[in-house]
Amino acid sequence: MSITYLEAIREAQAKALADDPRVFIYGQDVGAFGGAFKATKNLAKEFPGRVLDAPISEDAIVGAAIGAAINGMRPIIEMQFADFSTPGFNQIVNQAATLYWRTQVPCPITIRLPSGGTSGAGPFHSQSMESLYAHYPGLIVMTPATVEDAYSMLLEAVAIDDPVIFCEHKRLYYHLKAPALPTEAMPVGKARIHRPGRDLTIVAYSAMLHDALAAAEELAGEGAEIEVVDLRTIKPMDTDTIMASVARTGRLLCVGESFPWGGVTAEVVARVATEGFALLDAPPQRLNAKDTPIPYHPKLWLGHRPTAESVCAAARHLLQM
Amino acid sequence: MVLSRVLDDKMAGLYRAGKIHGGVFLGRGQEALSVSVGLALREGDVFAPLIRDGAGRLAFGEPVLDAVRTFLGSALGPMRGRDGNVHRGRPGEGLLAMISHLGAMISVVNGALLAHRFQNLKGLVGAACIGDGGTSTGAFHEGLNQAAVERLPLVLVVANNQYAYSTPTRRQFACDDLADKAAGYGLSARRADGTDLEDCLRVIAAAVADARAGGGPQMVVARLLRLCGHGEHDDAHYIDPQLKQSPLGRDCLAVAEERLLREGWADAEAIRALRQKAAREVDKAVATVQREPAPDPYKENWCALASRHLSEMFENPALSTHS
Amino acid sequence: MKQLPIIMPQLGESIAEATIVSFLVKPGDFAAADQDVIEVETNKAAMNVASPCGGTVISITAKIGESYPVGAVLGYVQLSPQEALRLGLDAQESAPPPSPANGAGRVEADARPGVQPMVRGLPVPAHAAGASYMSPRMKARMHELGLHAADLAGLPGSGAAGRVTIQDFEKFLAHLESSKLTSASSMRVAVADAMRRSWTRPLATVALPCPLEAMLAHRKMSEPKIGPALYALRSLALALAENSAPAGRLIGNKIVHPPSIDVGFAVEAEEGVLVPVLRDVDVHPLQTLVGRYNELIELARQRRLPPEATGGSIATVTNFGTFGLTWATPIPLPEQTLVLGLGAGRKVPSWDDKKNQFVPVTEANLTLSFDHRVLDGGAAGRLLARVVSLLQTPEKL
Repeated sequence: MSITYLEAIREAQAKALADDPRVFIYGQDVGAFGGAFKATKNLAKEFPGRVLDAPISEDAIVGAAIGAAINGMRPIIEMQFADFSTPGFNQIVNQAATLYWRTQVPCPITIRLPSGGTSGAGPFHSQSMESLYAHYPGLIVMTPATVEDAYSMLLEAVAIDDPVIFCEHKRLYYHLKAPALPTEAMPVGKARIHRPGRDLTIVAYSAMLHDALAAAEELAGEGAEIEVVDLRTIKPMDTDTIMASVARTGRLLCVGESFPWGGVTAEVVARVATEGFALLDAPPQRLNAKDTPIPYHPKLWLGHRPTAESVCAAARHLLQM
Repeated sequence: MVLSRVLDDKMAGLYRAGKIHGGVFLGRGQEALSVSVGLALREGDVFAPLIRDGAGRLAFGEPVLDAVRTFLGSALGPMRGRDGNVHRGRPGEGLLAMISHLGAMISVVNGALLAHRFQNLKGLVGAACIGDGGTSTGAFHEGLNQAAVERLPLVLVVANNQYAYSTPTRRQFACDDLADKAAGYGLSARRADGTDLEDCLRVIAAAVADARAGGGPQMVVARLLRLCGHGEHDDAHYIDPQLKQSPLGRDCLAVAEERLLREGWADAEAIRALRQKAAREVDKAVATVQREPAPDPYKENWCALASRHLSEMFENPALSTHS
Repeated sequence: MKQLPIIMPQLGESIAEATIVSFLVKPGDFAAADQDVIEVETNKAAMNVASPCGGTVISITAKIGESYPVGAVLGYVQLSPQEALRLGLDAQESAPPPSPANGAGRVEADARPGVQPMVRGLPVPAHAAGASYMSPRMKARMHELGLHAADLAGLPGSGAAGRVTIQDFEKFLAHLESSKLTSASSMRVAVADAMRRSWTRPLATVALPCPLEAMLAHRKMSEPKIGPALYALRSLALALAENSAPAGRLIGNKIVHPPSIDVGFAVEAEEGVLVPVLRDVDVHPLQTLVGRYNELIELARQRRLPPEATGGSIATVTNFGTFGLTWATPIPLPEQTLVLGLGAGRKVPSWDDKKNQFVPVTEANLTLSFDHRVLDGGAAGRLLARVVSLLQTPEKL
């Protein structure tokens, strides 16, 4: 018995629909079709009237979710690709994110974004948007990297009274498997140390976690013990765990799949440099994709983004400093 | 309407006296249309007023104090200083607080109506107001389309006051009449004379009744002229004087008063008394609010999340104004 | 055939240019690698410029009597084939590299491969490379443990350019834990700190042998007995009263002259050294100082020196001869420029011109250790000579 990352997401939605009559799912092709990635397969049949097909109107999709949330519902929106959330950006950052602050009425919506690159997907089906949304006050941004987290964090996202941007990584959908669904979960907002180490800390999130772990394996063969921290949630970010890890190792490498200007890796480095300067034995390092739109061709694509090899190289470089 | 006009005039006066921070946006000329919407709605309905819907808000039940407090930045207002002027509302009571991006509120009303449907609440409608300029936005299109596809009881009231800021309608849309757009969404629109209170009341009431009865989304397009600047900072010198002279340029308040007098439903004295009563109410509200405290950044809970345990503190604790 | 330029080298810290004095070779001569080919002069000294490689001198473009900045091209040497092979260059390259218009800056076509930095990207700043660089973490740990860079001297670093990493440091500490450790007294730590701070200056020492007969004879007759250091102390005070500049302090570009001739003297006291101070020594004759001097020694030994008896001295006298030492280079206190040392007296043969033979004399080395920023060897020597001469007439002290 094994369950994929995508199946875990479906199971979580099924449970949410079953447990809470206020939950409904809204998005393009999510109904009878079961969603572009089959994340809502059979849910329309199991829960008639609660899985609605939307027109191609991301602005109106998010707006409607907000209106429903104001009136007591707990909608889950599926954006077909994270890249397509931009037509709905205004509603997300200006309406949903400001509603509670302005009016004291909470906005308990969950927006699922199939994020990240897969080979051949090209510039508009590969983006990682977490940094843009994390920038705006009033949003929670989750980036689960494991099957278990995909399940438990989605359930928690629905339960949270604030807008949650749930960044699922497409590369993990069908290939990441776990033996079973979890029975307990780490609280949202806590990072997990996937691999304890001593010589260097790699902070990663989403699919990059697995590249970081592969790099750590390889470097273990060279005698370096790398500690790998999975952020799990970008906002709020578990600075304490990061700081404690850097306190142990003195060296920080932050890895992210998004573009290099600003973003999660810059935020991590800024926090460690500001609050943990005296913990650093070497300058903190970042590794991101290139400052270029995401290319289509698989060879270009592999050169554009961090890989286990480039993470290894960056770590080796940092170890030598 | 009178109350709304008196309130608007007072806010304009305070603005010119430098007592209001930020912009002041009035609904002069639009009172007839706006008040008709507010009067047709009842408790449980959802209302998304826009910039010039002061009259509609009052008719819907918004206290005068809410408007005055929000304009004057009182910590006791519904927005508590966190947002200002016309961006006010009480979403928990069905009165949505607009954001500046035009058209964005339509889909929010749709969502509220979806919630009613899920919750099996029948006989309720949602009303969204928008101007001629707002009909050009993508959000308008998406919202109207969504309401039509879902057959929601949305009443969309378009106040074509001929200008969006300084932009005349010939630079805003190419069709002859905004009502023509309705066909594109599978609807037919009603037309109303925005200067005539009776016409507005009749048309709006019919539209709301249709929606309440399950007739799907309704669109009303009213024609009038904006009788003020886009905001009080704008002198509106670009408004075509011919429009001002035309029947379109009539002040709906004057038209209504004249009608009352002609029909014998009220005499000049009564009308004057109404104005004075309104003035007293507004003055009292202003006097009260002027004594109220402004928000204090040091006492402010700078938390944008309902889930406080998930909020982060970014500032240097030594310099922070965080409580 | 490849030609290499003869470049004006970096001749010393803060030297920006040098003047051509003479040519040691002429065009057509063969010069070996590093052979001196041009003589130049700076405001400090005369130096030589060497050939960049073995080969034939093609041209000397510099002119005698002219000044050229560091990095300027002074001439060209053509590589011999053997040299080209040795240096791994293609000797067939024809055109000489263009010389910059005013000679400033190094020419890029350098034969030797450049030093490859270990850290890619921006070069590591000069102060941040090598053993002297301490990361923020290192600094925080050092601060936590009350350590200074001096405590880490000799600690090998495994980091970039040999810097000590936090791992090296923690290993070092762990290693210490396994060695025998005793507590250093607070006196020891205080002295360590003072010596470390003093050492931040460039210190030098000069010495003169001092005939002791006159002083010893005077001392024999004194009652109570006058300590040898006191003789030296009073002589030093008189010499400084004549010219106080050598005891001044250099702050920026000003010499701060001492306000009064207060001189301290070193007293060994249990794990450390105390320095009681006699005030206005130039004003008080030797006899009047004896009582106070002895009293201060006693108080120092008992660690009961009153505050007004310490601090504020402009120089210190130390009698290392009491340890049997004939020669030493004491370190002046951090706030002082001078320390006068007195070595052990002994009988040595001295050439007597009149008798034309060696005769026994009793003498001791007098040393003067000083902050070389304030005075040079000459001034130090003159001061020391004056002290020695004053010591020959102890009755006048």
